[in-house]
Amino acid sequence: MSSALITLDNIAKSFWRDDRAITALSPVSLSIQREEFVALVGPSGCGKSTILNMVAGLLQPTDGRLLYEGKVVGDLNRRVGYMTQKDTLLPWRTVTDNIGSPLELACHKTPKAEREERIRQMIELVGLKGFEKHYPGELSGGMRRRVALARMLIYDPETLLMDEPFGALDAQLKLVMHDEIQRIVGLGRKTVLFVTHDLGEAIALADRVVVFSSRPGRIKAVRAVDLPRPRDVFRIRFTPRFTELHEELWDELKDEVRKGTDA
Amino acid sequence: MTTQPLKREHTTLAPAGSQSSTVAQWLRRTLARPTGRFIAQIAIIGIFLAFWELGSGPILPRVWVSTPSAIFARIVFWIKDGSLWVHLAATVTAAASGYIIGSMGGIATGLLLGLSPRLERISGPFVIALYSLPKVALAPFFVIFLGIGVESKIALVAVTVYFLLLYNTLDGLHDLERGWADAYRIMGANKPEIVRNVLLPGIMPWIFSGLRIAVRYAFTAAVLGELIAGNEGIGFLIESSAGNFNSSGIFAGVFILVICSVTATQLITRTEKAVLHWRN
Repeated sequence: MSSALITLDNIAKSFWRDDRAITALSPVSLSIQREEFVALVGPSGCGKSTILNMVAGLLQPTDGRLLYEGKVVGDLNRRVGYMTQKDTLLPWRTVTDNIGSPLELACHKTPKAEREERIRQMIELVGLKGFEKHYPGELSGGMRRRVALARMLIYDPETLLMDEPFGALDAQLKLVMHDEIQRIVGLGRKTVLFVTHDLGEAIALADRVVVFSSRPGRIKAVRAVDLPRPRDVFRIRFTPRFTELHEELWDELKDEVRKGTDA
Repeated sequence: MTTQPLKREHTTLAPAGSQSSTVAQWLRRTLARPTGRFIAQIAIIGIFLAFWELGSGPILPRVWVSTPSAIFARIVFWIKDGSLWVHLAATVTAAASGYIIGSMGGIATGLLLGLSPRLERISGPFVIALYSLPKVALAPFFVIFLGIGVESKIALVAVTVYFLLLYNTLDGLHDLERGWADAYRIMGANKPEIVRNVLLPGIMPWIFSGLRIAVRYAFTAAVLGELIAGNEGIGFLIESSAGNFNSSGIFAGVFILVICSVTATQLITRTEKAVLHWRN
């Protein structure tokens, strides 16, 4: 257990609304190993994003301890890169400037020549060549997601937090992004916490899938995905093992999804 | 046999309906073009001025409404005797100086309050009270305090513009997409870096919309100041014309003010478009 990079030790979170405490997350325990890809799946409002916010240090747990490399995350966690569900690209900066923005900060200060070189590499990596001078408002949803991805990767954080990063993309583009993510994560040997409500996406990408119950969120099932790597994300859906895992996890998830929609 | 199709044709052609629709079509097509629109606008002004010119006297007393030609003659007269430039300079000086002082102060205060929530909570009620106060009510105070010269007008303009910009800056800081600053914090930015990279550029749209609205208020405040007490400025020209029952002078002054306000607003809008070019 001590070798885990991220440890959720009985963490719970409740919010106050109109003098009423709303429990977003009941006590949850989970440990994530270094270089592990863990997908969190569950109905909306089950506290998945809350967990990412706590790992990032943007929120503090109401109860329990959250450890990163054995230390309590008290303030902002600068070891992580966070790709939020919402688009947070600056609309007044070009693709190049948005991607390079982390390298302008004092903590990642990079000489201009090296910065330009890394931006160029990133643009190539996420396939945005030819769009360097465009503003986010001129890009499609899929391209904006890629810019966000490149901005997160450029300063090489050891852990990636991704909150439904491809939720708004069409099915084909999603697969292309899955392929890229798998390649990038594999190359950079990253630890990933990936929130999604797309079970297929979770199984195709993750080493472990964690299924959450509807609000208040609890862990309902944890399943290791034993599909060999590297995976062909375009075809993996048609393999028998994938179907088995999907059925098994869907059985866990389906009641929760129904409950989630009733609420 | 031949009458039937003819009859039908007759009914489909329908009385006048098709004819008016072709006129409407022609009009719609013409107005869709910029030049067509421009011609239409000129025509509207022309018709309006013609009615005014011809209707003044027979319909409404000329003493009250004057005529476009008399107003034009009045402006030419002011240009020739040089008084227009003196008064225009006074009004523009008051409006522009007050505008610059007021907007800089408003933006600075807005940033100060917006970036330190504690200060904002303490000063909140005072700011609201002062904002709600009709600034014109302060004009007499500025007159006894600063005299009837340009200083009292500058002060009135500055106070008016100050609160507009203060509020727009605060609104910008409050309504700015929170995710932008959070994203920068996660990347490892410190507070000054967030202010410089996210907050300041982010609130530019709010600041410009404040600056645009403030132009109108600046001229209004300057002229009000001149109407209340003063011996120069367009407001003074209007006031003294009214004292002589010279309605041409009143309208001439109003016309000059409209020109000034529109020009200044255009200037700000152009600057805004250039600075916020990413929005287009």
